[in-house]
Order: sequence, then C-alpha cells, then structure tokens
Amino acid sequence: MIRMITTRLASSSLSIVILVTLVFVMAHLTPGGPAYSILGMKATASSVAQLNARLGLDAPLWKQYAIWWWHLLHGQLGYSYLLNRPVGQLLWQYERNTLVFYISAIVISTALSIGLGLLQGVYYGRWPAKLIGALQLGFYALPPFFVAAMLVLWFAVQLPLFPASGITDLRAVHPSIGSYIAHLALPVTTITLLTVASLSRYFGEAVREELGKDYVRTAMAKGVRFPSILFGHVLRNALRPLVTMIGLSFPYIFTGGVIVESVFNYPGLGWLMWRSALSQDYPVLIAIVLIIGLLTVLGNLLADLVNGLLDPRASYE
Amino acid sequence: MSEQIIPAQGLPAAPLGRWVAWVTQRSTLVAGLAIAGLILFIGFVAPFLYPPDPFAIHPDHALQAPSWAFPLGTDELGRDELALLLSGGFATLVVALPAAAVAFVVGIAYGLTAGLGPAWADRVMMRLLDAILALPSLVILIFFASLVTLNNTSLILLLGLISWPGLARLVRNETRAQRGRDFVLAAEQLGGGRFYIARMHLVRVMAPVLVVNGTFMIGDSIFALSALSFLGLGVQPPQVSWGSLLESALDIIALDPWWLILPPGLLVFGALLAASLTGQGLLQRWGNGR
Amino acid sequence: MSDVLKLENLSVSLPRGRAGNVAILDELNLTIGAGEMLALVGESGSGKTIAALSVMRLLPRGARVQGSIQLAGTELTALDDRAMRGVRGRDVGMVFQNPLAALNPSRTVAAQIQEAWRVHQGGSIRAARARALDLMGEVGIPQPAQRLDDYPHQFSGGMRQRVMIAMALACAPKLLIADEPTTGLDPLIARQIMQLIAKLRREHAMGVLFVTHDLSVVEEHADAIHVLYAGRSVEFGSARQFFAHPRHPYSAALLNSVARLGQTRLQNIPGQLPEPEARPAGCRFAPRCAYHQPACDAAYPAFVANGGTAAACLFPLPAGSVLHAAPLAKPAGRNYAPQLEVQDLSVRYAGAGGWLGTGGKQPPTLQDVAFSLGKGECLGVVGESGSGKSTLGRAVLQMIPYGGHVLLDGHDLAGLRGPKRRAQRRRLQVVFQDPRESMNPRLRIGDIVAEPLRLQGRISQAETRRRVAALLGRVGLNPELALRLPSSVSGGQAQRIAIARALAAEPEVIVLDEPTSALDVSTQAMLLNLLKDLGQSDALSYILISHDFAVVSYMADRIAVLNAGRIVEMNETARLIEAPQHRYTAALIEAAPQLRSYSR
Repeated sequence: MIRMITTRLASSSLSIVILVTLVFVMAHLTPGGPAYSILGMKATASSVAQLNARLGLDAPLWKQYAIWWWHLLHGQLGYSYLLNRPVGQLLWQYERNTLVFYISAIVISTALSIGLGLLQGVYYGRWPAKLIGALQLGFYALPPFFVAAMLVLWFAVQLPLFPASGITDLRAVHPSIGSYIAHLALPVTTITLLTVASLSRYFGEAVREELGKDYVRTAMAKGVRFPSILFGHVLRNALRPLVTMIGLSFPYIFTGGVIVESVFNYPGLGWLMWRSALSQDYPVLIAIVLIIGLLTVLGNLLADLVNGLLDPRASYE
Repeated sequence: MSEQIIPAQGLPAAPLGRWVAWVTQRSTLVAGLAIAGLILFIGFVAPFLYPPDPFAIHPDHALQAPSWAFPLGTDELGRDELALLLSGGFATLVVALPAAAVAFVVGIAYGLTAGLGPAWADRVMMRLLDAILALPSLVILIFFASLVTLNNTSLILLLGLISWPGLARLVRNETRAQRGRDFVLAAEQLGGGRFYIARMHLVRVMAPVLVVNGTFMIGDSIFALSALSFLGLGVQPPQVSWGSLLESALDIIALDPWWLILPPGLLVFGALLAASLTGQGLLQRWGNGR
Repeated sequence: MSDVLKLENLSVSLPRGRAGNVAILDELNLTIGAGEMLALVGESGSGKTIAALSVMRLLPRGARVQGSIQLAGTELTALDDRAMRGVRGRDVGMVFQNPLAALNPSRTVAAQIQEAWRVHQGGSIRAARARALDLMGEVGIPQPAQRLDDYPHQFSGGMRQRVMIAMALACAPKLLIADEPTTGLDPLIARQIMQLIAKLRREHAMGVLFVTHDLSVVEEHADAIHVLYAGRSVEFGSARQFFAHPRHPYSAALLNSVARLGQTRLQNIPGQLPEPEARPAGCRFAPRCAYHQPACDAAYPAFVANGGTAAACLFPLPAGSVLHAAPLAKPAGRNYAPQLEVQDLSVRYAGAGGWLGTGGKQPPTLQDVAFSLGKGECLGVVGESGSGKSTLGRAVLQMIPYGGHVLLDGHDLAGLRGPKRRAQRRRLQVVFQDPRESMNPRLRIGDIVAEPLRLQGRISQAETRRRVAALLGRVGLNPELALRLPSSVSGGQAQRIAIARALAAEPEVIVLDEPTSALDVSTQAMLLNLLKDLGQSDALSYILISHDFAVVSYMADRIAVLNAGRIVEMNETARLIEAPQHRYTAALIEAAPQLRSYSR
C-alpha cells in the first residue's frame, strides 16, 4: 500500500512539473510574456524593462524558467490590472465558490449514477435498462448552455422559483444559507443532468460486466440471495471504475462549469476565466489555467488512492 | 477447448421484412445518420432554399413570436430568426467539420508515432500528453482564443490543433496493445518492417475504433465551437453561429423569448446527438468484432 | 434411496437468437451413490457443463429443462426458486474452473468460505470463521490461521482451487459438482487437486459429479464414467471396465487421441462436432465413425449392456481392439546435421513501474540455457507455467532481447540489424497457442497465408493464388477457405492456417509454442499427426514447447526439462522417460497420463 502511494505521488509530482513547464510556455506566448504575469499590466514599459533586467528576463530561457518556479513556490501568481489586486489573493474566493458548486454537483450525480447504474446493470436487455440507456444517450448530447438557458427560462422567468444569477441575495447584508442554496439550485441541476448521463452509463456497464463474471455464479452456487450478491459482491468491484471515472471527469465538469458559471453569473473560477479572457487579463488567465491543471492532477491522485482502498490487489501491483 | 460454434444466420426472406429487420437491428445507427443528414441539409442546402437576408433589420418587427411572415420570429433587432439560424448553421459546420478532420489526422499521427517509436520517445510523448489532458480542452481553447485574431481559418486551426490529445492517447494505447498480439509478432517474424506492420495490420484492426472516435470528434468539435461562440470567443460578429445566437438571446431572457432559445439549442443538441448516436450505433455493430 | 443424485431423461434447451430454443442436452440418465465419483466426460459442445449447471439450476435465462433431477430422493425440478436457493451451497457444493475468476477479488478468502455457512446455518461470525479455518486446514492450505484474511490474488493457482473446494464443502454437502476443476493448472498441481477431491469424497461419503474433457485426468480416481457426445450419452458404466475395454467407437477414439507416454500413433477423429441445430437423427457420431454402417443413421441406438458398461452402439467394439502400446524404441543416437545452436542464453525482463518505467531488479527469467538442434530434429521443451519456456522460444525467434548467442547454420544472429536480420528471422518461424490471436481478424485467410509470399518479393496474383491453394492443401484444408475470414473457421482449422503461413516462409526451424493446448483432444491428435508428417517430409526442425509431457514425448526426439529458467535435464526421449536423473523430471513423468498397459 505504502509503495503504491509513493509511486503514485512521484508520478503526480512529475505530472505537475510538466504541467508547470507547459504553462510557462503558454505564459511566454502572451503579449509581454511572464514579466507581465509577475508584475501585472499596471507596470509601465520602463518598469517592465527594469524588472526584466533585474529578474534577468532578458537572460537565457533556463534562468527565466527558474525565476518562474521561484515565484510559484512563493505563491506569487502575478497581479491583476483589471481587478487591481494580486492574483493569489483574488483567486481564493472564486476557487472556494467553484469547489462548493462542483462538490455538491459531484456528490449528487454520484448518488444518482449509482442508483441508475444498478438498475441498468440488473435489468440489462429489458425495458427499464433500455429506457435508461436511451435517456443517457439523449442527455449526454445536451449542450450545457442549452440546458442552463432552458432551466432559466422555465424556472426563473416563466415560473420564478429560483434566482437566475449570482451566488446570493445582493440586497441582504448577511445572506442566509437558504439563499446560497437557492442560487446553487439551477447551476448544480445543469451540471448534474449532464454528468449523470455519462457516469451512470459507465457505472451501468461496470455493473453488467461484474454481474457476468464467474464469482457471481460462485456466489449463486452457494445459495446467496441476489440482493446480497449485488451489494455484498458486485457493488464494490463495480465502484472501482466509477471512482476512476469521477477522478478523470474533472476536466469535463470544468468545461460545463465555465459555461454554467457564465450563464448564471456565478462568481467561480470558470466565470473569472471567461471574464479575464474577454478582457485579456493574462496574469489571471495563466494562474487559472495552472490551478485547473493542478486540481485535475489532484483529482486523479485522489481517485487512485480511493481505489487503493477499494481494491486489495492495487497495493501489490 | 474453445471450438466456437457459429450460429446460422436466419434473416427473413421477404425484401421488406429484411429491410425492416436491418433497420431495427441498427436503430441507433439509422437514427444517428438520419439526424446527421438533417443537420447537414440545414447547414449546406437550406440556406439556398430560404431566400430572406439574415442580416436585414426590421425595427418595427423587433422581438416578435413566430408568424407567417417570420416562421421562427425575430430577434431584438428585428432580424429574421430562421434566416439567422440557417446562416449560423453554415458558419458552425464550415469551421467545426474541417477542425475535426485536422484533429483526427494529428491525433492518429501522434498516437502512431508514440506507439511505434522507441520506448523513451513513447514515455516522453505520453507524459506530455498527460499534462495537456490535465487541462480541459475548453480552458486551452479559451486561453488561445483570447490571444489570436478570430476568423474561420484561425478557428479551424485552433480547434483542430487543440482537440487531438484524447484520440492520440487512444491510438497510442491501441497501437501498443495490438503490437504485442500474436499476429503482429508473426508478421514481424516473417520479415515485415515497422511501416508494413502499421499499414497492413495496425491500421486495419484499429479502423473501427478510428471511425467510431472520428464520429465522436465531429460532435466534440461542434460542441467546442458552439461553446466558444456562446462565450463570445468563437465565431465573431457580424457572422452569427448557433452558439452566439443563443448567447444574445440569453441577454434578454427576462422577456421570455422562447423562440430565440429553443431553436439554436435544439440544433446544437441535434448535431451532438447525431454524432453520439452514429458513433454508438457503429460501436454496437463493431464493438465485439475487433 | 441411497442414490445421492439421480437424473432421469434430463433434456435441456437454450435460447439461440431469434431461432428460439435449441436442444443442447438430450435424455441424460445417470445416478451417483454416496461416496461415489462419477466422471462426466465430453469435448466442448457435448453438453456436459449444461448438465452440471441444470442440477444447480444455474442455467442462462430462457433455458428449458425437462425430465427429473432427484437429490437424495427430493425432486429438484419441483422446488420453487427460494427452496432451490436453500439446496445450493447446503446440499450441493460446486467447484468451478479457473478459480481466479470464480473468486471475488476484493473479499478475503475467509469471508468467501464462511459465506455459505452464514447463509444456510446462520450463527455467529466467530463460529463461521472457526468453520472456515477448519475447512482451510482440511483442504491442505498450509498455516491456515495466518491466511484467513488474505485475498485470492495472494494465493497460487493450486491453492486458490483448494479455497474453492473449501468453499464448496462449507455446509458438508451430499453432492459435490466439480466443473473442470483441474483445467488450466500445471500437471503436478492438477494431480494433487484430483487426489484431494478423491480423498474428501471418501471421508465425507459425498457423491461427486466430476465434469471434464480429459479422460486421463479421471482415470485413476473415478468410480464410474459417463461419456457424452453432441448432447447424448454414448457410453457409461464402471470406470475400471471402461478404461480396460471401451466399447463405443467414440469412447475408444477419445481415449486414443489423448497423448500418453509410450504411444506411437495418436488416433485422428476426422470431421467436426455437429452444431446443435444440425445434429444427425441417428447415431450422432456416425458421420465421423470408422465403423459406420447404413443402419446407424436410422435412429439413435439403444444401449447395449455388457459387463460393467453399456454403449449406445449397434456395432460395439470387441475387446482388445484398441490401445496399442509399444515399447519406447525410438532410434537412439540418430545423427542430425547441426542446424541451430543456442549458447549461454539468458533473459532478464525489466519490470514495469517506477518514475519512468525503469523497474527494480528481478530474477532472470532464463539463465545459461544451451542446446543444439539438428536438421529435421524435434526438441521438446517441457516446463510448468513460469518456468521460462515461452521466453526461451521468443528469444530463439529474436523477438526479445537476450544475452548469449543463437547460431543458425553457424552464423550468430545476435549482432544482425536491418534487412539482414529480417532475412535471417524468416528462417525461424512460429506457431502460437491461440490460433485466433495469431491471425489478423480483418484479413482473408488467403491473404494471411500469402503474407510471407508477398513479403518475400514481387509475385503475380495468379501465382499467389496457386501457391496459397497448394499450401492449404498441404495442411489438409479446402483451398476454398482462402476467401473466408478467420472468424468463420474452427480452432483446429485456424491452427492449420497458422501452420500453412509458417510453411509459406520456407523456414528451417519452427518454434511450436503450446500449439495444441487451446484445442479439443480430437483436434489435438489430428494436428500433432500433421506436424509429425510435415516434419518428416520437409526435414523441418521443431522446438516444441509444452506443459504436457505426453504430447512432447509423442513428438520429440529429445526433451529438455526447464525449471525456474534453467534446463535441469536434457536427454533422448526414451532414455529420459525410462531413467530420469532429476527429481523434478521424475515428478513430471509421474503426473503425465500413461497407457495402462505400458509399464516402465
């Protein structure tokens, strides 16, 4: 187990190093280069030149690369000229909002996917599974902006049940928890609908596959009741690929997240990224790209570690 | 021990019955191809059949619900929504389809190179791929879209050069898996070179996987372009696309303009559904056959 | 009422696509007494596993069962599903093939062994765990107390099968059904498992229904035999009588097609098993039978009892007409012109893992292997799984990097690069274990066989077609197969195609890597005979790699015994079998199927 964790950590660290390098290259492509990313656009041409000379940004590439690392390790992510604050400080509140949003969506979709997937696996080839399968194909093809727009149209405009925008009631000084939840309702529903379509299909396949395996027949030969077989034997084995899939689906969720946050004006990382791209606020953009990448790597790592707990074989491989 | 017994094929003899059986066995594929045909018709043929100018402004008919004069109503400037949709369809497909082709070619080339190359090159290429895949493609797209001047050519290149890593990984993994199979080893033993093996064996056994994933990539490409346009970073004004039409409708959503939201949304949905159903249908036919 | 299991006129049909149900098993009658082991024997497609599963009511959805299944006097077909669940695991225990798949990978063996006890007897976890511990000791798992909480993957193949057996015994069942429990295990381990089951049935006075495709496995221990062919029984009765004198031509052919030590010629069974939809109305074996008469096709023959056995045959074989044993008198010390020389061959696999896939050090897979192979000679390489025998074949074929030297006609192959290396490699060809894997499923058979011809240089279409037809003819196949895809032929045919492809390259040496272990016994005999004939007519040199000592002894002039990456003994076949020098060799020979009438 410990060996598995250390190899996995080593592999993740390597991924992070490559990722940081990749983002360094991307930062080089922005107008002004990494100097702006550090100093912010507020810097005048002369102060940039000064900084370049001081930091050695006219120096060879490897030296610039070292400086890039030095600043990252000290938490200096640059300065947003648009929002007039250091990027590091700025990002935290957006990141927190995004994490609340994604984690609630992931928890709800996982629960729904397990239920639907079990039904689909057990009833494979019969009408309940076929119905679920058709719905999955349909929902999978729904673009998030369309779902979000329809939800706003139905449940915020035609039937004003939920707020269509923001994270909380702007008029209240101390907004209630209920207000937060009401503002999260439609964005979370949008992401959940889209995520469940693929996760439940994936899990349903896994359940079906596990149910066809020899050990299920062995358990039946022992006289074990079907529900005990399903929950005592099959579920745990079928959860493994689901956990991996959830770990891998972070980029996919983020793709929908950018769009959903922009529709609902939800102040998360996706919304901030979108605004920064439109106003060409590169220091913020670069910092968000980096954070998204890191979150993905961490998500995969977490999924692998959970699977290490679920699968006794993983610790021996 | 595993002497397989091949069941006799028993298709009904009557031509109509056979046709019905053919269709019902492939209902997913047939539905996918039918919707794909419809979408292509809307994008490439219908603009010539429906003459009104999409960019003509009728200020006194602004924001009208569907009527005989304007079959799908008008937007807030009084433009004919149906004409806009047809024009937006062309603008979407004319970028998304070539972009998918670019990504398809790049992905296969990268995957085959990594899969067939020496072990160290494979490791380096795959590590790079992992890092790229840690970033959602929409994030990379947004980043580069904010850097370049957006027009059809730059959008095709942008989408094409950013959407290939998923396919590349798949092709590489398939190549590695197929390379160790006995028939490839046998071909090597017979004196087949690397290029011969790739052409004669690898590409042939991977063909179904490639076609299925190529189909999915068309859907992904249409989605990515629509999402970018929806965010204002795709097809630029005065041109319209399905994504940008939906975005501008969202600005006035408080006025309940359902006719401006439903049609562009349904069209993107239809395009994605066509790709997804066709791919799934092909997968059902070929899934076990490789 | 002392019968543990009694099947009367048991017929089973399974759903097959839109065609409706197809009969798989017809009118099976058998009885098993307490403490008796009955071997239900048949090739794949005979319906033997379906018979076993129908006792447990574990058939696929849509299966239809007719007839009577009585377990210690209780009619099982009359029970509802709930009552049937009470029978499974309590009155009948079942052991399956391939224990790695049949055990749940993510639960401890204790949890899996005690599950049946908990389901049927209830009681505390502590009591169930104590029961699991007893059972693990009884089936011979060393240090059972320490291994209770281990997972299946931590056990070896043989130990896993012991866990399976412990699981089946949890509630002291009256009947044990064992479905191919030794298939896939190394011969020494298979023998131990067989002995364990035989011992347990005596100690527990438990009836055993032992399902297998391999007659030689059960020869030593079965009390009764029941042979199935294409869904019907052809012969049954006392095992002793059966092995001494099989009376149905199919039984005799099956016995004679299994390679045994001391056998000079394997019997071919021509033709193929009929598909379930197209079974003959009369005797189902008639189309492939050497003693076929017109009367055989009229109706399924009635059983004729004689001594301890009964055969469904109009013309049963007279006593003493089968099983030719001959002394192992192969020409010793034949002089072969040297062809291939292997010197100090070592292979060490780099393990996967680590940062960039550079793993830690592992023991070498092969160490200091040396032998020579003469022109037209067949060298057998015998070893258990993990002995490095397949690695040896791959190193000789230049498929993997190795240390040491492989000399072909005196020229070292190790240093060669590019076209020179390719030209030399062509002279060494290979036939793999799984014939389907060895052919590109998307190429036509004609193109597969023509591949070596096309790689050799430009050749006209007509010439290619002519030579492909000739090659297919040489391996006993219809040249019209050239237009079909590999998925449309049987495993035996596919393996012949693989041989034809190897021959097309006009090689000097062919490495046969377990060429028959994926095939049915009757097909196996045919293929071995084909290879033997080709070897003689073309003066081909073979390296035959197998886990099956009898198969190797049938083919090889000399045998090398491989254990843990080293050759522990190498000698001429007859001498090796008569006087093995190494303990390991002796154990392998002991475990190999022997001819009854042959004694050392």
